[in-house]
Amino acid sequence: MTVEFKDVSKVFDDGTLAIDRLNLSFELGEFIVLLGPSGSGKTTACRILAGLEVPSAGRVYVDGRDITDLPPRDRGMSMVFQNYALYAHRTVYQNIAYPLRVRGTDKSKIDALVRATAKMLDIERLLDRRPRQLSGGEAQRVAVARALVWKPKICLMDEPLSNLDALLRLQTRTELKRLHNELRTTFVFVTHDQEEAMTLGTRIAVLNHGRIVQFDTPRRIYRNPATRFVAEFIGRPAMNTIEGEVHDGVFHAGEIRIAVEGQPDGPVVLGVRPEQLALDKPGATAGVPFTADVVEHVEPDTLIFLKNGDVSLVLRALYDVEGIEAGDQVRVRFAPETLRFFDLETGDRRP
Amino acid sequence: MKQSWRIAAFAAVIAVLVIALLPYVWIILTSFKTRVDALSDTPIWLFTPTFKHYPTVFLDKGYLPLVWNSAIVAVSTTVLSLVIGAPAAYIFARHNFKAKEDLFFFFLTTRMAPPISIVVPLFLLFTEIGIIDKLIAVIIAHTSFNLSLVVWMMRGFFADIPREVDEAAQMDGLSRVGMFIRVLVPVAAPGLAASAILCFMLSWNEFLYAFILVAFEGRTLTVGIPGLITPHGTLWGQVAAVAVIATLPIIVFTTLVQRHLVRGLTFGAVKG
Amino acid sequence: MRGAFMDRYISVWFLTPALLFLLFILVGPFGFMVWTSFTDLSFALPDRDGNLVGFDNFRRLMRDTLFWDSFSLTMRFMFLAVFAELLLGFAIAQVLFHHVRQRRFVLTLLMVPMMLAPIAVGLIWKLLLQGDFGMVTYYLRKVGILGDQEVILSNSDLVLAAIIGIDIWQWTPFVVLVMLAGLMSLPREPYEAAVMDGARPLQIFRDITLPLLRPIIALVVLLRGIDAFKEFDKVFLLTGGGPGSATELLSIYTYRMNFRNWDLGYGAACAFMVYFVVLIMCSIFYKAVYWNEGRPTARTDRPT
Repeated sequence: MTVEFKDVSKVFDDGTLAIDRLNLSFELGEFIVLLGPSGSGKTTACRILAGLEVPSAGRVYVDGRDITDLPPRDRGMSMVFQNYALYAHRTVYQNIAYPLRVRGTDKSKIDALVRATAKMLDIERLLDRRPRQLSGGEAQRVAVARALVWKPKICLMDEPLSNLDALLRLQTRTELKRLHNELRTTFVFVTHDQEEAMTLGTRIAVLNHGRIVQFDTPRRIYRNPATRFVAEFIGRPAMNTIEGEVHDGVFHAGEIRIAVEGQPDGPVVLGVRPEQLALDKPGATAGVPFTADVVEHVEPDTLIFLKNGDVSLVLRALYDVEGIEAGDQVRVRFAPETLRFFDLETGDRRP
Repeated sequence: MKQSWRIAAFAAVIAVLVIALLPYVWIILTSFKTRVDALSDTPIWLFTPTFKHYPTVFLDKGYLPLVWNSAIVAVSTTVLSLVIGAPAAYIFARHNFKAKEDLFFFFLTTRMAPPISIVVPLFLLFTEIGIIDKLIAVIIAHTSFNLSLVVWMMRGFFADIPREVDEAAQMDGLSRVGMFIRVLVPVAAPGLAASAILCFMLSWNEFLYAFILVAFEGRTLTVGIPGLITPHGTLWGQVAAVAVIATLPIIVFTTLVQRHLVRGLTFGAVKG
Repeated sequence: MRGAFMDRYISVWFLTPALLFLLFILVGPFGFMVWTSFTDLSFALPDRDGNLVGFDNFRRLMRDTLFWDSFSLTMRFMFLAVFAELLLGFAIAQVLFHHVRQRRFVLTLLMVPMMLAPIAVGLIWKLLLQGDFGMVTYYLRKVGILGDQEVILSNSDLVLAAIIGIDIWQWTPFVVLVMLAGLMSLPREPYEAAVMDGARPLQIFRDITLPLLRPIIALVVLLRGIDAFKEFDKVFLLTGGGPGSATELLSIYTYRMNFRNWDLGYGAACAFMVYFVVLIMCSIFYKAVYWNEGRPTARTDRPT
């Protein structure tokens, strides 16, 4: 069973182009993440799938069936909203039961389903409370329970963790992954947090300016970013990028010279991940010289911010680095197979 | 939204607006009709206007002072209500004390007081102290309901201003009173303006207190209207002219500033 | 330092003028009215200069069929007018909210009737409903609703309906205004959640809109109810309470007692009753709204 966006575009009344000819297709059972910065169109795409927005162009299909004009209640999808959208005047129990009541489920079955779902989300003791009395984390679980109680085919989540504090966010993230493994419901998850995306998704669609820039598994996105944008968006810290020129197999940027393979002459953007840079032993003469600007000990790693002229780099040492301090001169080695190249104009990855 | 609903809605709105505005338009037209046209048994929509009713009633019959009286009363009661009411509203917004909600309820109930119940003792009282038939009597009477209005409205406006503004002003060296006058009042200016407009409007439009508490000298414009309806017949052109002057300034003015009014008119029941 | 002196008791300085003013201008007169209601004060009859007569006036009030007729008339007026205004106002607000873009413009025009001086409203409709040259009378006769010689304002069967209709004309814009503000303040998310939960428009209206609007509806009912009960100006000008006493609302009856008959002792008792009923209505409202939620404005979620 497939979900497919076909050439979907959305222009809002004030003229903003939110989504530009989006094409995306995925199978049921996946945990799809729509990732991107604000304004990238990820929420709009999610809402179009839900039926809360109508596309200006293009169609949406589920399992071959055109659902573009169907109202939300006929699509078999549920949604968890960023600020939970609970019904303030009803108890938690009534909130969770609402979709079942509205869809005409047998009264006898409602109670069992509500309690089972509440148990799954560990909120049984809250069933008689009102939304006003819940903490953020609890309210969010109720929202998730309400979205899952009637066993929809697809569960959409629009930045559900954004309003939680950092620790709660991590905990809930793990629980969501567990839920997905247990239930095998398709999740479509919208977020701007790349770490969330990387940990949760089976596949991630990275969006920017209303278009999908890359749609792949987290690992492949990390290792082979399709564009400079993806490279600079994913990873903490993100990939280093240096603008420069290649002459005869050597990359020039300011005073820096790096030997490269298989790149034609001309301007290019060089990318390398912080953990793929190697710090040469003190006293070595082979690597590229840099001055250490700031050293951060993020136990157990060390982040060293390096500068050479106008070029700044971050180096992540996955081991304990002794004795490097701000102001020290060091040498850095670039391994050719770790280097990535992007076109200066378009940002696309070069083979 | 389906197109057919849109059209039906549009038609309904037009119908409602016509019903709402036509009566008023009619009285304005009447103020420009000759006696013959006004009393015609078939309604006349197109006619040659006459402007003589206005000078006749306001100059010849001496109704101009009534406009002046209405203005004085409205302005005075507005100023008085704001000056007394805004500080009180501030206290309700910022401070907590045991009797607070009860006291606030007391303020609210004064708005509920039926004028007919209050005007009788006021009449007797003012006659005793000799201010009957003076404008000050009406000003005081109007302030009795405008004050609670100001307190009710301004409490919400002051409560919306974050406490940090108070505190920053005090850290900058102002006393609490100074902070209120120099900082809070300017910040709450939109709310004060809205309250002022409402007070002015309610006072200008008020009838009963003005009718009972003044006999002749201190008549306001609203009181002038029944005077022109006599058992011997009514000069509709003239009384229409008075009604127009009694209402048009308010309509024009509030239309211009209506954006600020909505909050007050909904009595702050709804946030934003 | 003067600043510090005033600061310490700022609550006192700021509150007292308002309290004092109301004490003298409302509480005082109210007390005086209560006292007068226990006297036989009259400006019309000699010897009646305010001797205490105990509960005589109230006993008379209980037996006064005219008073109670007026009371029931006023109640009928209030219930019918407010009910109609609520339904109509809500309907118009819904239409404006869902289907009309230029809401502000429409509202500005719609607000005209309620901003007119009520005495002028009386005048306008007196003109429109004239038997010989009233525009509305003419068209009503033309479409057959009104007989050729019928005059609404002289017809005791129709005149109550007429003043209710005029009240609706005057005050429905107010209901529209408050309801629209209420609808616009409703949070959007519970609606989208309900849509995603599978609810149909009617269910959404019943389960989400109405409960969230309850405090606002209650406020409208209270404000309009009390104002309708107190109604005086336009009816006074339109009919003076007539024909006969077909439109003699309670405030008009009280006015007649005090300022036509000059029977001030009894008139004060009437005035007291009016005030008393209004106070009861206020209390019922307060209990109804503040009891349930704690605060009249609804919130859907707490920030973390």
